[in-house]
Amino acid sequence: MVLIFSLSAFAHHGSNISYQVDKTITLDGIVTEWDYRNPHPQIYFDVKEKDGTVAHWATELLPTPLMLRNLNVGWSRTTVKPNDRITLVCNPSRVAGAKACLARELTLNGKSWPLGAGPGGPAPAARGARQ
Amino acid sequence: MLGLALLMLLAQAPQAKFDPHDLSGHWNRTSRFQTFSNVFSGQGNATGTAEAPFTPAGKAKFEANKPGYGPRAVPPAIGNDPMGTCDPLGIPRLLNTEVITPHQTMEIVQVPGRMIQFFEWHHDWREVFVDRQLPAADTVEPTWNGTSVGKWEGDVFVVDSIGFDDRTWLDKFGYPHSENMKLQERYRRIDADTLELTMTITDPEMYTRPWVSDTKLFRIDRAKSSRWDEQIYCVPTEEYKFNQRVRDEAGGRGAGK
Repeated sequence: MVLIFSLSAFAHHGSNISYQVDKTITLDGIVTEWDYRNPHPQIYFDVKEKDGTVAHWATELLPTPLMLRNLNVGWSRTTVKPNDRITLVCNPSRVAGAKACLARELTLNGKSWPLGAGPGGPAPAARGARQ
Repeated sequence: MLGLALLMLLAQAPQAKFDPHDLSGHWNRTSRFQTFSNVFSGQGNATGTAEAPFTPAGKAKFEANKPGYGPRAVPPAIGNDPMGTCDPLGIPRLLNTEVITPHQTMEIVQVPGRMIQFFEWHHDWREVFVDRQLPAADTVEPTWNGTSVGKWEGDVFVVDSIGFDDRTWLDKFGYPHSENMKLQERYRRIDADTLELTMTITDPEMYTRPWVSDTKLFRIDRAKSSRWDEQIYCVPTEEYKFNQRVRDEAGGRGAGK
């Protein structure tokens, strides 16, 4: 519940209006690109449809400034790599057929990756501590 | 009883000393409204004021602004929030919307003759010349953050500004202003940890009377002073790519990935 609140409260402009935040879908696919940049990190991935065709999907994560503070759970520019297997629970677009969604739960190669701050590791602020 | 005793002790605790003329430090906005005013938004339990005192021209410009937040929010794919193209947010929007996590703080620095505000979001800053007269309005070219002078009235630092570029919005809900808007900000350090700000805009082209903001409150973030600047730029190439490949797709205007 905390995670959902966080996503809603800090969403970039239009997150809540672009996606059906009260619905989720689950997608399995293969990562083609990871872009750990502003305003939101993005994962691009291919999903094989039942008819054998490949659909190109995109998902957005938390605002990047928040992700930067979540390095205590391992997020970095190398967290996701092409050819990683991704299982994603996400909020679908409000537009039927659109291949973009808002990430809620993420599994990479069988390992779950928290989308918010997690336990353990250095405090988020430590990354920016002056030395 | 224990609780009562604790409250009495807290009430008797000495307040941290502070200089009311020292506004310096990193500040995070803590007051609720992320709009210029507590105008009724139709969201939550907010009541606020009924509506902005629009002129017909102000109402028309408001309707033309398509925000990604609030009761009139539209998908960014069909909106026109300046934020979506990394255009400067301008004053007063920098003051009333983005000074909150995840976009972090406003830092105030006071040097002889000037007060400078640094905004981490968009990596923008504005300067206020102290004890200087505003230039004549017809000699000032419109700029994103306006032209500002400040002076102390007792313990209130009063900033008067003119010359604003009318492409900026007052806030994330899309309230407009004209180039002829006059803005007055009144800053008061209430205690060691709290800064208060109220704003008044006078803009007869857009609003029928001076419009006063709700009272903005900021809490000092002393730990921030020991952390590196997070350099939260809004980068047009990054924003464009994100819009084109994600938000436009989500909004039904996909151009392919």
